[in-house]
Amino acid sequence: MVDQAAVVSSSIEEETTGSGDSPLRLALRRLRRNKIALFFGVIFLLVVLVCLLAPVYANDIAHTGPNANHISEIIKVNGKATPVVNTIGLPIGPTYHSKFFFGADQNGRDIAVRLLYGGRNSLAIGFMATIVTMIGALLFGVTAGFFRGWTDTILSRLLDLIWAYPALLLAAALGVSLAVGGVNLGFAHLSGSSILIPSMVIGVVYIPYVARPIRGEVLTLREREFVDAARILGYSRVRIIFSEILPNLSASILPVFFALQLAQSIVLEAALSFLGAGVQPPSASWGTMLSDGSGLISVSPHLVLVPGIMLIIAALSVNVFGDGIRQAFDPRSSRH
Amino acid sequence: MRMRRTVLGIAGLTTAALTLAACSSSGGGNTGSGNGPSSQNTSAAKSGGTVKVVEGTYPDSLDPDFSYTTQGLEADDTVYIPLLTYAAKEGTAGTQLIPGLATALPTVSSDGLTYTMTMRSGIKYSDGTPVQAADFAHAIERSIKISWGGSSFFTGYIKGAADYAAGKAQTISGIQTDNSTGKITITLSQPYGAFDNILAFESAAPIPSSTPMKVLSNTPPIGDGPYKFGKVVPNGSYQLLRNAAFASYNIPGIPTGYADEVDVSVNSNTTAEAQAVLNSQADVFDAGDTIPAQVLPQVMSQAKDRYQKTPLASTYYFFMNSRVAPFNNKAARTAVNMAMDRPALAKLSSGALTPGCNFLPPTIAGHADGACSFGDPTVSPSAATVAKAKQMIKSAGLAGTPVTVWSETRQPRQNFCLYLNDLLNTLGFKSTMKVVADATYFQTIGNESLNPQIGFADWSQDFPNPSDFYLLLSKAGIQRTNNENFGDVDDPQIESQLAPLEKDPASQLSADASKWQALDKYVADQSYVAVYGYQTAPKFLSDRVNFSAAVFNPVDYILFSTVGLK
Amino acid sequence: MYLLIFTLKRLASAVVVLFAVSVLTFLIFFAIPNGNPALRLAGRTATPADIHNVEVAYGFDKPIYVQYERTMKQIFTGRIQSYTQHLSVFSQIKRGLPATLSVAIGAAIVWMLIGIVLGVIGALRAGKATDVAVSTVSFVGISAPSFVVGFILLDLFVYKTHIFPQVGYVPITQNPVSWLTHMILPWFSMAFLYIGIYAQVLRSSVLDAVTTDAVRTARAKGLSPAKVMIKHVLRVSLIPIVSLWGLDFAGALAGTTLVIEVVFNLQGVGQYTYNAIGALDVPPILVVTILGAFFVVLMNAVVDILYAVLDPRIRAGKG
Repeated sequence: MVDQAAVVSSSIEEETTGSGDSPLRLALRRLRRNKIALFFGVIFLLVVLVCLLAPVYANDIAHTGPNANHISEIIKVNGKATPVVNTIGLPIGPTYHSKFFFGADQNGRDIAVRLLYGGRNSLAIGFMATIVTMIGALLFGVTAGFFRGWTDTILSRLLDLIWAYPALLLAAALGVSLAVGGVNLGFAHLSGSSILIPSMVIGVVYIPYVARPIRGEVLTLREREFVDAARILGYSRVRIIFSEILPNLSASILPVFFALQLAQSIVLEAALSFLGAGVQPPSASWGTMLSDGSGLISVSPHLVLVPGIMLIIAALSVNVFGDGIRQAFDPRSSRH
Repeated sequence: MRMRRTVLGIAGLTTAALTLAACSSSGGGNTGSGNGPSSQNTSAAKSGGTVKVVEGTYPDSLDPDFSYTTQGLEADDTVYIPLLTYAAKEGTAGTQLIPGLATALPTVSSDGLTYTMTMRSGIKYSDGTPVQAADFAHAIERSIKISWGGSSFFTGYIKGAADYAAGKAQTISGIQTDNSTGKITITLSQPYGAFDNILAFESAAPIPSSTPMKVLSNTPPIGDGPYKFGKVVPNGSYQLLRNAAFASYNIPGIPTGYADEVDVSVNSNTTAEAQAVLNSQADVFDAGDTIPAQVLPQVMSQAKDRYQKTPLASTYYFFMNSRVAPFNNKAARTAVNMAMDRPALAKLSSGALTPGCNFLPPTIAGHADGACSFGDPTVSPSAATVAKAKQMIKSAGLAGTPVTVWSETRQPRQNFCLYLNDLLNTLGFKSTMKVVADATYFQTIGNESLNPQIGFADWSQDFPNPSDFYLLLSKAGIQRTNNENFGDVDDPQIESQLAPLEKDPASQLSADASKWQALDKYVADQSYVAVYGYQTAPKFLSDRVNFSAAVFNPVDYILFSTVGLK
Repeated sequence: MYLLIFTLKRLASAVVVLFAVSVLTFLIFFAIPNGNPALRLAGRTATPADIHNVEVAYGFDKPIYVQYERTMKQIFTGRIQSYTQHLSVFSQIKRGLPATLSVAIGAAIVWMLIGIVLGVIGALRAGKATDVAVSTVSFVGISAPSFVVGFILLDLFVYKTHIFPQVGYVPITQNPVSWLTHMILPWFSMAFLYIGIYAQVLRSSVLDAVTTDAVRTARAKGLSPAKVMIKHVLRVSLIPIVSLWGLDFAGALAGTTLVIEVVFNLQGVGQYTYNAIGALDVPPILVVTILGAFFVVLMNAVVDILYAVLDPRIRAGKG
């Protein structure tokens, strides 16, 4: 698994601000000046917006839902009456009209509609997984880094376990297993097709990659003078964590990690669903669309290219924007 | 390959010597497209040479007493000859049983419990050891001991086999053999008209009595057939080499083989597999695979004279649980059958399915083509019909009932269920899907406690007898786990019509065909199942081999011993 | 002495981790409802008695820790067989290894070379158009999942233009040229992701090193930029890269190759695992996972030890 966290931490340096501006405000100002990052940030917002508007597209433009089969339907393509799916099961390609804008899949479903609905799932899972990762990483990383000693040893070993387990295999195994029977959480039962399952799986798998850098950062922070000051003042350890450590983290590495993890989670969700261990049918996600279409790639490449390119656009825009955030918080690493 | 479960008290079929004559008007025979011959080949192929076979899945095992797939069967039936076997012909003619290692079809006692046969003399295994009568008993015992998936056929019908399986006996008391005379006497625990078909299983083919009681998937036992195994690379390839001695036995009706060598290799990429045969780089496309949609147009245009869609005795349907809402209501089931677009489902199968609405498939006595009471399967239902179906459900007060569609993971089965899911939602139900890993699918829906409402199912014949299919619709077939009567169909009318038919000896099958057809029509009228099609398999060969000489037998699939170069 | 203790400590923790990985995998699949392998092994029409016989024969009726012990014993004696086929798992892994190693090692070399080249170019032309181009390639690389790249390359170069042959793996011993042409697309699909990362990492390492005093002195002395680059800059900037490469190679071998093998139908260990996951066949999954984890842990330990050898300060501080 790619250790992007290593990339980030290796280039983050502490910055002492001489002026009276908070690091956050300085960062925002720098971000505003970074045209490229802003551009991609807007692209990502557009992607999110378009996916949120999926029902509008489905009802008013394509006039069909994401799961509606149109196998026997006949529509006019370039004036000619064409079956949506031909006798041997090959679907039509993009029509670039309101119906079947990006073509149909083997079940005669509208690819454009599925792309948007699928995007909702992919993005939702991406966000939820990232939140799970961040919370988990903070819990592990801050506790281990701040308290050190045995706490650190035990937590670090636990992180090692998850980290050593080949991420894709862990996620696939968990995904397949949980998809069959669902998960009983005690207070709630998740059915096997709930998207909370892949969200949790992906979220958990990435915890060590973020927890370690956080731990490293916390180890450094706790030696800083403001922590000493707080200790002398008699603050409890918990208070120190909340009033000194966490804010510092939020001003430096947390936003960067969030963006990077978001991109990674979206990509891992696609891989998982591609392997059948993520989103379950009939729900769509960009990964399931890729998997469904992979068998017909030589004759109907649109089945794979459409969700694939959308996926790249989404991940790319988050990555570039995330890099912009990184540069905004820590300009010395940019060299531009 | 699916085998049926037995034991559960199928009313005994009394017996007589089994001769399956051709079916009556009920649509048997070769109805595939293409120009292949429908009966016995007249032209012969050249002797010698090497034939290359590609398949998408490696046989689960090359051990005849363990294998349970068509790929294993195709390998084994050239190597091991059972006491009885099927005529090497296509279509309904290929469902006829002929003597294999036995001198003649068995003599059956009047109470249907004793079968007597004599082993041919002079037959030897490919290493020179003579085949003996006791070897038959050993094969049955071994199949039971190493847990062949269909051993319930033996334990259910052969006297003493169940005790042997449970370890209570050292041998099977119901099988008596005499090596000096070659006489074999089998005693049944209950009469069963289709027992001759059981004797035709590969797992009942005699193998040396010295064969150890453990699975030998990759170093299979010695056989006595026209071919023997050569080099085996597990999960990769295997070789069949001609056994020259076989021709000297002069067993009538069993092909002695054309090619000197048959090389079978695995390529899980079925597109590449099809292309290899298209370019004649390989000679035989495994009949158990489907030609992918992306290559099919090329095959159909470039290989017209060597590609033929062959109908199989295999029905594809959606089961509907008649004990649980909403499908315990006949209106709901009929609505599904009315509104189902069978040509659409055929498209999803890349054209491999032939649309149909009756439960018994082609080549099985009682099969009927044509429209059912709820519509014509070859025509997509009109919008008006769908609306009518929707209204039926609404009037029955079933609109909004939550339904779960059970599905396998692989395509096209998942695609069938995706269609069904959408159809049910259109009809007014609240439908969702549950996709289960292929490996556990049938065990999952066969678990009664889950009360599956509707989902994917299919059934391929174990042997050409309609009673094999009616297990799935009879009360006797209901089981709490590993259920095969997924719809829990329990209809006294079916039982009353079924009982006398199953008692009739199998020789009366053609005479009974109209009665089976009537029963099948009743089932369709009651919409107990939502049948949508029958599987066809491709007979697709290279231009190097003689297409008409090669035989695609409905029970044993492609007989490698009939594939030869031009 | 310290080095020895350090190594031993790492080895000990590695063993613990591998044990935990095996237990976790076992538990994950044990929890599957209706996942009783006996049901599958006994056949579709087995009676309850048949199923019970199979359970006893395979030991599925025993408690989970007994089953675990049995399975692990089978793994360590190399006798473990899959649930669905009567084949030794290790024999199948051996069969698939050439394909998997061909992809992983080839891709690793490709991404290393191209990543370094691009990183250096980007650093040398920092701020100019070429640098921006390199950055763009990098970002697209890390944003495109390898299997999507694989599909795109397949569509463009195999199906639309027939430049490369159909998918599949040709052993190098059978036909080296064919092996190469079949491997190029899988290599690039896999490498694209890492090229992006390595180009960026190397670029910033190089830029870091270029501003150090040592380099400035060398330049002041009159050494050519190229010589400076090679003698001083690269040597320093390559250290983090090499360690990263070790970890990534392990991770790729244990993960990314799976998807690439499926896309290009290479029938390697990854595809074997993928089929096993789909069939809920626990033994192959277990063995491959343990091997993968072992490799990751091993590479991690090797990298740590290398660092400890190179930098004594780290040895003392590591927890």
